[in-house]
Amino acid sequence: MIKKPPLQKLILSGAALAVVLTTTWADATDTNLPPQSSSDLGDLTLEQLVNVKVTSVAKEQTDLFTSPAAISVVTGDDIRRLGITSIPEALRMVPGMDVAQINGTEWAVSARGFNAQFGRDLLVLVDGRTVYTPSSSGVYWNSLDMVMEDLDRIEVIRGPGATLWGANAVNGVINIISKSAKDTQGLLISGSAGTVEQDITTMRYGGELATNLYYRVYAKRSDQDGLTTSAGKPAGDAWDSSQAGFRMDWEPPSQNVLTLQGDYYYSIAEIPSQIVSLAPPSILEFNGKEYNEGGNVLGRWTRDFSDSAQLTLQTYFDHVEEGTGNGFLIQNTYDIDLQFRFSLASWNDFVFGTGYRYQSVEDTPTFQLTWTPETQYLGLYNIFGQDDITVVPDRLHFVLGTKFEDNSLIQWKIEPNGRLLWTPTKSQTIWAAVSRATRTPSLFELNSRLNAAAFQPAPSGPPALVSIFGDPNNTAEDALDYELGYRVAPTRNLSFDITGFYDVYDHLLIAVPNPTVIETSPSPEHLLISSTYKNAGSGDTYGVELSGQWRVVENWRLAASYSWLGTQLTPVSAYAQSPQQQFQVRSYLDLPWHLELNGAIYVVGRSTGPVSTGYDEIPSYARADLGLVWDPRKWFEVGIWGENLLQSAHVEFSSQETHTLAEIPRSVLAKITLRF
Amino acid sequence: MLRGKGWVAHVIAWGVCLGIWCEVCPVSRGDASLPEYQVKALFLLNFTKYVDWPPNAFAGSNTAITIGLYGESKLGEALKNVVAGKSVGGRAIVVRHLESADDSSQCHIVFISDSEAPRMREILNRASALPILTVGEDDLFAQNGGIINFVLKNGNVRLAIDLTAAKKAGLTISSRLLAVADVVKGKSN
Repeated sequence: MIKKPPLQKLILSGAALAVVLTTTWADATDTNLPPQSSSDLGDLTLEQLVNVKVTSVAKEQTDLFTSPAAISVVTGDDIRRLGITSIPEALRMVPGMDVAQINGTEWAVSARGFNAQFGRDLLVLVDGRTVYTPSSSGVYWNSLDMVMEDLDRIEVIRGPGATLWGANAVNGVINIISKSAKDTQGLLISGSAGTVEQDITTMRYGGELATNLYYRVYAKRSDQDGLTTSAGKPAGDAWDSSQAGFRMDWEPPSQNVLTLQGDYYYSIAEIPSQIVSLAPPSILEFNGKEYNEGGNVLGRWTRDFSDSAQLTLQTYFDHVEEGTGNGFLIQNTYDIDLQFRFSLASWNDFVFGTGYRYQSVEDTPTFQLTWTPETQYLGLYNIFGQDDITVVPDRLHFVLGTKFEDNSLIQWKIEPNGRLLWTPTKSQTIWAAVSRATRTPSLFELNSRLNAAAFQPAPSGPPALVSIFGDPNNTAEDALDYELGYRVAPTRNLSFDITGFYDVYDHLLIAVPNPTVIETSPSPEHLLISSTYKNAGSGDTYGVELSGQWRVVENWRLAASYSWLGTQLTPVSAYAQSPQQQFQVRSYLDLPWHLELNGAIYVVGRSTGPVSTGYDEIPSYARADLGLVWDPRKWFEVGIWGENLLQSAHVEFSSQETHTLAEIPRSVLAKITLRF
Repeated sequence: MLRGKGWVAHVIAWGVCLGIWCEVCPVSRGDASLPEYQVKALFLLNFTKYVDWPPNAFAGSNTAITIGLYGESKLGEALKNVVAGKSVGGRAIVVRHLESADDSSQCHIVFISDSEAPRMREILNRASALPILTVGEDDLFAQNGGIINFVLKNGNVRLAIDLTAAKKAGLTISSRLLAVADVVKGKSN
């Protein structure tokens, strides 16, 4: 088990206390402090007024309200109030998202169906950088260890985000946006500890290097104990991770903004693993160690040419390394993107863009998993354009866009989409969209062989090997998506959002069984029970996502959502089943004496685990979290949360590699945040 | 599993130390959280200090600055509390609730609440050539000729200022006010 040394906590406490002492002394000599009593509010200066946090709801979401897409935003405040310590947990509150915690380090996240550990139809971006591994078409959530306090917001668009973000955004785009360095000035220290949650220590310092040149640096350390399985054994999923990084923003008043940021991380996780071999024992299950190491650098330049024209140039490099006892994977990504927005004739808003991405993926072959060839090189060009046409000013907009992609894995793809936006009154929006989206096959589905299991059918006969093959002839999956949405804000304190969708899928990649044959190599001679990925699946998914926000009284806000999903896919046996219904309610209550009482209830319908685990049945579950936050001073905040309060433990998903069903137990988390 | 309950004691001890410290040290609440209408009322008070009206806007050197409000009773109450007993350049500040679009001609600052949005265009048309600082909180405010618009951004109330409209009304806006605005359109005199 990985343990955090108590010395670390002591040093943290000592350092924080020292900082408290010195900055307090500094503040005492600072004449810029605002007045203390409320009767002196009239003495607040202009500069102070623009920084006061206001309590308000509907108006703030003006941009979201008139957006012709199923978009939701998780704000930094939501994350702070609910004691959220990881990105996947923050996604639970998005209507229609299917978030299931597999074990201590792994999550299965998707939208609108097809949930699997490597939810392959979601595009995840961190400040514009794609977090996506072409080897498995998925996201390793445990390598996204961000400073949650410096997150500005997470924008989630359910449904295809094709035009602007390209292939593999079939069921949604998750855009994780961190705050500009300008908004994260000063020292932040936070420490949290919980009975099951990670022990996390974060330090960040932001300052100004020169006029209008802001920076921040941070370091974060997390470690988490393992969970137990439903069988009562340890799930072997403890996790230890360190991450550090920086961000610099140059924002002179000359309409240029320059951003440079980078991170480095290193984590070790215990992952339930297995080794397959033809000699007995056929399958050896053990708690293996997986290490993840990586770094990235990103630069972005934005220039405003006038009120309505803007150019953005972005480039980044991303290095990812993963290793287990079975081998390692190294992936390097170089990406450059150019985007230009401008208006034409006052009724056209254009966006044009082009980009190039180059990736190399190297994986060491093992008996279990081999790639052909070992090192793959992928080049991806894209060009896109979109026009927002004002048909009737402030009433009707028509958006037309398309993206062309040329991918060295498959032939080029075209993804058009059209949207209509109608705002009959200021407090109502009706939108409709038709889009085509594609998903590029993962390397796994193209060029690999996975020996998933081995067993001895008869004591005296040959062993049997279960394998899955990729096929280099596979092409992209296709989706045609129809959406209709309605938003209404009947009063300043109440708003609703309802979206319906109907998706038609074709050329879905599924594992198609092959006839059983005898294979002589590698020896010994054995039966080969195999299947090959083929574009043989198709079908429809459809559903409804409903959400509402209600400010009941000045200090109490409620948010709720409900989603329903129906699927008709063939062949039925090839797919796991996502929950058909999900419901959640969140409550944010401001109490006197600078207290906040925040809570959430999530109810998730039954589902089945992935195909490879034989469709483990996951029963429906309800989960409740409740937390109390106290922030008596601008620089001090403490919170305590109880999570999963309703049951002593429940299962949300099953691991793809082994059928372990780790139980997520009831837990308590406490956190202190200091800001100077 | 975290060993024993040691971490709980640790957190509590820390909390107590900080609690004691908080009472002893003179650090104040700082960036408090206020209701939106309160912040907007405070901005309106500040506008009286950082905007210059042409001489013909006032009958005499002691004439009060009049702030007229369309809609919004909560902001009106807050504004009355904030301006009570204050004066700017020797002038008192008076708050009035307005009904018809013509009432604005008697005012120096006119605030149009978003509940009055249907009438916004009409009110702004009447006020546009007069020395009146028009303030609003609607997306289309600037397009209709309004001068200062309140915009909510990241939980703060920010300002969007249209200098062309200000110039048309004969008003001069101080550079200090322009400096805190997020958006400034047009050129100053």
